[in-house]
Amino acid sequence: MTTTLIPTTARTASPKRRVKRERQGPAWVFLSPWVLGAIVLTLLPMAVSLYLSFTDYDLFNPPRWVGLRNYVQMFTEDPRYWRSVTTTLTYVVIAVPLQLALALVVALALKSMKRGKAFYRSAFYAPSLLGASMSIALVWRAVFNDGGTVDNLFGTGGWVNQPGWALLAVALLTVWQFGAPMVIFLAGLQQIPAELYEAAAVDGAGKWRQFLSVTVPMLSPVLFFNLVLQTIQAFQVFTPAFAIGAGKGGPADSTLVYTLYLYDRGFVASHMGYASAMAWVLLLVIGAVTAVLFRTSRSWVFYASEGDR
Amino acid sequence: MTATAVTRKPVRWGRVALHVGCLAALLVMLYPLAWLLATSLKPADEVIASLDLLPRHLEWSNYSTALDGVNDVSIWRLLSNSLLIAGGAVLGNVISCSLAAYAFARLRFRFRGPLFAFMIATIMLPHHAVLIPQYIIFNQLGLVNTYWPLILPKFLATEAFFVFLIVQFMRGLPRELEEAARIDGCGPFRSFFSIVLPLTRPALITTAIFTFIWTWNDFFTQLIYLFDPDKFTLTLALRQFVDASSSSAFGPMFAMSVIALLPIVLFFLAFQRFLVEGMASSGLKG
Amino acid sequence: MPGHRTKGFWSSAAALALCAMVAGCSGSGESVGGGKVVLRYTWWGNPDRAERTEQALALFEKQHPDIQVQTSFSAYEAYKQKLATQAAGGDAPDVMQLDYRQIDQYASGGVLLDLGEQKAALRTGEIDAGLLATGRLDGTQYAIPQGRGTETIAYDVKAWKATGVPLPGRGWTWSEWADTMRALAEKTGKPGATDPGQSEDAFEVWLRGQGKSLYTKGGELGFTAADLTRWWTFTDKLRREGAVSPAEQTTQLDGSVENTPLGRGEALSDSNWDAPASGFLALIPSGVALAPMPSGEDGTPGQYYKPSMFLGVGANTSHPKEAAQLVDFLINDEEAAKVLGATRGIPVNDSVRKEIEPQLEDFDKTVADYQSSLEGTLNPPPQAPPSGDNALQTTFQRDYDQVSYERMSPREAAENYVTEAKAELRS
Repeated sequence: MTTTLIPTTARTASPKRRVKRERQGPAWVFLSPWVLGAIVLTLLPMAVSLYLSFTDYDLFNPPRWVGLRNYVQMFTEDPRYWRSVTTTLTYVVIAVPLQLALALVVALALKSMKRGKAFYRSAFYAPSLLGASMSIALVWRAVFNDGGTVDNLFGTGGWVNQPGWALLAVALLTVWQFGAPMVIFLAGLQQIPAELYEAAAVDGAGKWRQFLSVTVPMLSPVLFFNLVLQTIQAFQVFTPAFAIGAGKGGPADSTLVYTLYLYDRGFVASHMGYASAMAWVLLLVIGAVTAVLFRTSRSWVFYASEGDR
Repeated sequence: MTATAVTRKPVRWGRVALHVGCLAALLVMLYPLAWLLATSLKPADEVIASLDLLPRHLEWSNYSTALDGVNDVSIWRLLSNSLLIAGGAVLGNVISCSLAAYAFARLRFRFRGPLFAFMIATIMLPHHAVLIPQYIIFNQLGLVNTYWPLILPKFLATEAFFVFLIVQFMRGLPRELEEAARIDGCGPFRSFFSIVLPLTRPALITTAIFTFIWTWNDFFTQLIYLFDPDKFTLTLALRQFVDASSSSAFGPMFAMSVIALLPIVLFFLAFQRFLVEGMASSGLKG
Repeated sequence: MPGHRTKGFWSSAAALALCAMVAGCSGSGESVGGGKVVLRYTWWGNPDRAERTEQALALFEKQHPDIQVQTSFSAYEAYKQKLATQAAGGDAPDVMQLDYRQIDQYASGGVLLDLGEQKAALRTGEIDAGLLATGRLDGTQYAIPQGRGTETIAYDVKAWKATGVPLPGRGWTWSEWADTMRALAEKTGKPGATDPGQSEDAFEVWLRGQGKSLYTKGGELGFTAADLTRWWTFTDKLRREGAVSPAEQTTQLDGSVENTPLGRGEALSDSNWDAPASGFLALIPSGVALAPMPSGEDGTPGQYYKPSMFLGVGANTSHPKEAAQLVDFLINDEEAAKVLGATRGIPVNDSVRKEIEPQLEDFDKTVADYQSSLEGTLNPPPQAPPSGDNALQTTFQRDYDQVSYERMSPREAAENYVTEAKAELRS
């Protein structure tokens, strides 16, 4: 994984030997808060949870080493675990593309706007201010209930209480809150120097051509960021499912996503060892997916700082 | 009149369509928010049971109950606690994440690749798995029931999301300015403060906005680390209205949700305009 | 034994690692407030309970000028998570409110102090022996019940009367209950009750009515897949007939009265614990009454007086005596009881209960009257369920969801549940 993740070193360091080797000192000064936080607040707890994943730990009594038992149990004896895996994958496949597409389309629409930009941006962001709070979950359950607005409009019945539809209602809550990727897209669009468009226009490029040759490559680092982060976050979706599924992933386990089941195992059933093992399997899976994304990024992500090297 | 009409540009139908489309989308988008507002004015027997948008009569007492605060803690206290935490978090994230991001994006040091990979990996572990070890650490440091567990991590750049975000923006900047500055004898520190930081302003504003909103809404961490009701936040307090095991007051909970929404709306409105001035005003040409 | 196997290892391992890295290791320190002993007391509840608790604590601080009580509350679900994290971190509060289902886990995990050591400060003589025993594990008293509750069928009086179906009376059996629900559904077109199939509590009442129990004394499963199959077949049939709520309604239960079919106006009754049923009043202003749970066909009562909550003292409190004094005050002090009323259930102390019963008002009185109508007719409560029950309660709902959405037969689901339960109780 490490090799695939190396962002710039691989390209900037190896072929072109810099005239002067930079000193490392300044880098560590900039990094020092991060290093301290990474060791004390991140690495240490991560190491503990990795250790716990090989133990039987009920939160209160000291953990007992059980080797790979949690992992074996997860993969071979727990059908609910596998259901949570499929539920999560379905969720990722629905929520990530929809949310990103919506965020990008709205961001592009706003960019091309001369008037009312600030108004639209704020209005489209408004749902994201709420997070998946309890009140918004209750609203969601009302809107998607039997006899609720969606049922009245489309006659589909309530979504939140039908196993076949509930996950879609959860995904739509995430999609609805597309403000974060939208703002990141907007910031990225903002950062594209106007000269590039002017130059392209001088070369006779039309709007579409400008979009393809200027916007897309210049926006690609941000698009990549959004893709990676939204994917990671989608794999870990918890709050919307927790809030809409009344805390237990209902109806009939249809919204029992991975981290919700992990929480259930760890904090409700007090099998923190098992929950830790689940967490590390998830880390490995997300890590693999991210590594693939990083690898493909070499062919489509363009960094201005390296573009002409 | 005819003259002006003639000289005026022809109606841009594309633009009109754009606005119509956006407004239609907004109508759908804002419908649940309208529902939230309407619910905050519903009497108890309609809050959950009624599937109509509008309340049969307006129940303003939800707001007066919410404005009384919870457990002898006034709403102003709750509000200022929330502001303190969110403000501290914004400061911490903007400073520490931009520092770390600059190192990852521009400076060279040993193990940069592996460390970058590690940083990304830290956001892949579900936080429930590290909750208890983190709690033990803060407890051993004697920091439980203070705001430090909520703010200190932000000053230590533990939110890799933002480090990565700023890295991506910095990598989008052409190097020419910095190279020119270096030839003029400008070290990495000056280069960071006077060239890179101003140019990454959209990313920093984005960081500030998200940090503020997400910290504000972060029920879970606040729940775990705060004990004294005096130290509680709006987000914690509004959940105190709803206890399934005894009786709940959903109406005031909704009212307080709306009240809690106001500061973040204001924060967003105040800062979102800075998103506009990126490159354009800070001047790459300069 | 449990008292020693604490989380000391984890705290110290983390502490060591930290001290190596961070210069100067400051422990969590004693909480001292101006020379006073400071106690931390946490509980779950709502703002009303908070207000009365504050008043009672002010009284306690007046009686004990050397003690200061810091108190904090959250809603139930949040409280459980917070307390678990605190306890796992070795930071359990001095005095904590506990649920029936938490006792086994917290006691065997060494979180709770043996209250037998504090007999001098903490009197238990006036608490019903059977009720007191629910806070005991392996002969050690770890927690004291604080309030008494029992299950009930809460119903919308006006709507029920309008149907002409006779009001529920004492001593009805499950089959009479089922017939009544059918009659109600026929008259109103709405289900008579929440589908009780999803509720482990209702199942326990049904089971006890047949002389069985959820768990054996040894903490193993007290029933077979055949028993559960019969229960779920019974409720499944009622659901198909429309006598109890459909799956789409039942699945929305989240513990709050607002999300029950009765609270939404979709059914005429709901089985619940008696004190939380007060929440229905705000939703059904025309009136809510309480009826007893159905009993077995031979009249064996299934419901019992359950401790609605307990008080326990943290095993590593620095002030065990003062903590015990606070517990004693909250349970045995008449002045405290006058302030607290029935916010935490009907008081367990017999003389305190007799003292305050006439003063109770509104729904508190309804609950007290309901409970005294059952006095002397119920069997003693079972001991607190094994810690695995925390997980099994939701597993029960999940497996029944499979039945009510008609994805599994009652037998398949019951066999699933029993397999899962046995695994859970073994680990």
